[in-house]
Amino acid sequence: MNIDIKKGNKISILVVIFAIFLPLVVKNEYFIRVINVFFLYSVVALSINLIVGICGLLDMGRAAFMGLGAYCSAILSVKLGVPFVLSFIIAGIFTGLVGAILGFLCRKSTFDYLTLVTIGFNVICQVVFLNWISLTNGTMGIRKIPSPNFGGFYFDTNISFYYFALAFLLLCYVIIKRICKSKLGRAFEAIRDDPIAAEYAGINVEFYKIINFSIGSLFTGLTGALFVHYTQYASPYNYTLDESIYQLQMAILGGLGSLPGSLLGTFILVALPEISRSFYEYRLLFVGILMVVMMLYYPNGLLGKSGVGEKIFSLREKFEGHQKAGGKCE
Amino acid sequence: MFLQHLVNGLSIGSVYALIAIGYNMVYGILELLNFAHGDVYAVGCFVSFALFATGINPILAILAGAVSGYIINIIVEKYAYRPVRFSGRVTPTISAVGIAYIMRNVILKIWGPETYSFGLGFRGTQIEIGGLVIGTLQIYIFVIAVILMISITFLMKKTKVGQGIIAISQSIPTAALLGVPVNRTISLVYGLGGALGVLGGILFCTYYDSIFVGIGFALGTMKAWMSCIVGGVGSMKGAIIGAMILGLSESLVAGYLSTTYKDAVIWLILIVFILIKPQGLFPAQIAEKI
Repeated sequence: MNIDIKKGNKISILVVIFAIFLPLVVKNEYFIRVINVFFLYSVVALSINLIVGICGLLDMGRAAFMGLGAYCSAILSVKLGVPFVLSFIIAGIFTGLVGAILGFLCRKSTFDYLTLVTIGFNVICQVVFLNWISLTNGTMGIRKIPSPNFGGFYFDTNISFYYFALAFLLLCYVIIKRICKSKLGRAFEAIRDDPIAAEYAGINVEFYKIINFSIGSLFTGLTGALFVHYTQYASPYNYTLDESIYQLQMAILGGLGSLPGSLLGTFILVALPEISRSFYEYRLLFVGILMVVMMLYYPNGLLGKSGVGEKIFSLREKFEGHQKAGGKCE
Repeated sequence: MFLQHLVNGLSIGSVYALIAIGYNMVYGILELLNFAHGDVYAVGCFVSFALFATGINPILAILAGAVSGYIINIIVEKYAYRPVRFSGRVTPTISAVGIAYIMRNVILKIWGPETYSFGLGFRGTQIEIGGLVIGTLQIYIFVIAVILMISITFLMKKTKVGQGIIAISQSIPTAALLGVPVNRTISLVYGLGGALGVLGGILFCTYYDSIFVGIGFALGTMKAWMSCIVGGVGSMKGAIIGAMILGLSESLVAGYLSTTYKDAVIWLILIVFILIKPQGLFPAQIAEKI
């Protein structure tokens, strides 16, 4: 039996092993907390990548779906006492359905209109979170949301939640990766590259757009729910349009269409504000300059097509190709 | 009461119209979602505010603001939009969002998040006609907006530059072949858009007697974009009428339904409108290129 592990897989296995043993070495609670936030935002960035990067639908209202998932799970578990697992899953299904409805409404919309509708949806959701006081508690937010728990075991410390979030991230990553490699993913890419050609190739563009929106929203909603169970507090100010654009930037920085890129982009944008407090003041400036410079020189992100990562890899491959004399010429 | 809402809606609508015209010029020509429009003109308004605070003549302060809007937009166009002009839709849009962030951070760094009073020293009186209260300021805003709109329409329809702009909006390569100086015209359009935006923004600030960082994105870019979508992308008439409709519906929703849910209701109306009439009220007469 010959198991052929590809180079990319080797790297990812190493990264996973590193991630599993990280908390055993690093005991700093603050550091683990930042990593947890990074894990959660990574899933959001992945879901954005699925919608914007793979399917080419510029969605600027992801934070609304995070908020919907968060409030759905928070209200279920605090006001109705539903156990975590159930409220978590219901939140995911709920946001998936909302995503499907929004996707259905936007199924014929072209670029500009879709972006505008998602922005509008985000504004509407925020106004509702702020003002539907009997349900969402208004500006006070919802407090005392129970930690994630399974059969009596509470993931209430940073380290235990670390493993929960890691498992969640790995699961989502693998699922999204499998989706990208499947018939579904190829259809999404065809729609992104040229919707008219895709239609002629027999792809039901409207249907796949709805599916894409729904799957993306499902993951965003799950993450939103997990987030408030981790911080135990849901605030309406976490789901603004600016937050949406910051999340979008995570996916863009790493590279639209590249899943490892999303992780890298998220890591950079989550870690940088933590390195220095005074950075927070210049956060917008930094993000702005980053966006412009990236678009001018690496429009496909760090690890996307013809990005920094690919350049390094192609250089190495060239070098290795020269070593193996008589390698295939291109 | 209804007439009062109508008057208020029309005057706020004419302010939106000025902002939307500048936005629509860029939008119609390059199909770029100019997310930076609002934040650029916010910088211009703040420049004018700072100059006004030093005691300079208000007219000079307004002109200086408009000129700074013009210059900023030309610089931004040259370094952030021109290199990505032909690389699809998503790339320039994100670049514009980046510019918006840079501008907002500049404002926050210099002036902070506070709201300042900025009335240009204008003491308006009010005229009462049969229970209907009309401020002189509202009349001035309406007149200024109409004058500017007419001159822009004249520029587009009757001058060589305007015809060049229309040619570019239909096809850049063809316009270049016919001898239209593409780069120069496009940067002129951006500059004019910025200057008009600043003028609209200053009127907006005067109307509410306040200036803060939020006039850029939430009250500028978004309203301008909504007006353009309602009116029809690339149509000057559409942008103006769209802005009026937006102003009127805001005023009516706030008057009759609810002020807390005003934004949500407006967005809801807009979304429903897009779903029913995705080309806007006055679609530009250009077929979609395949």
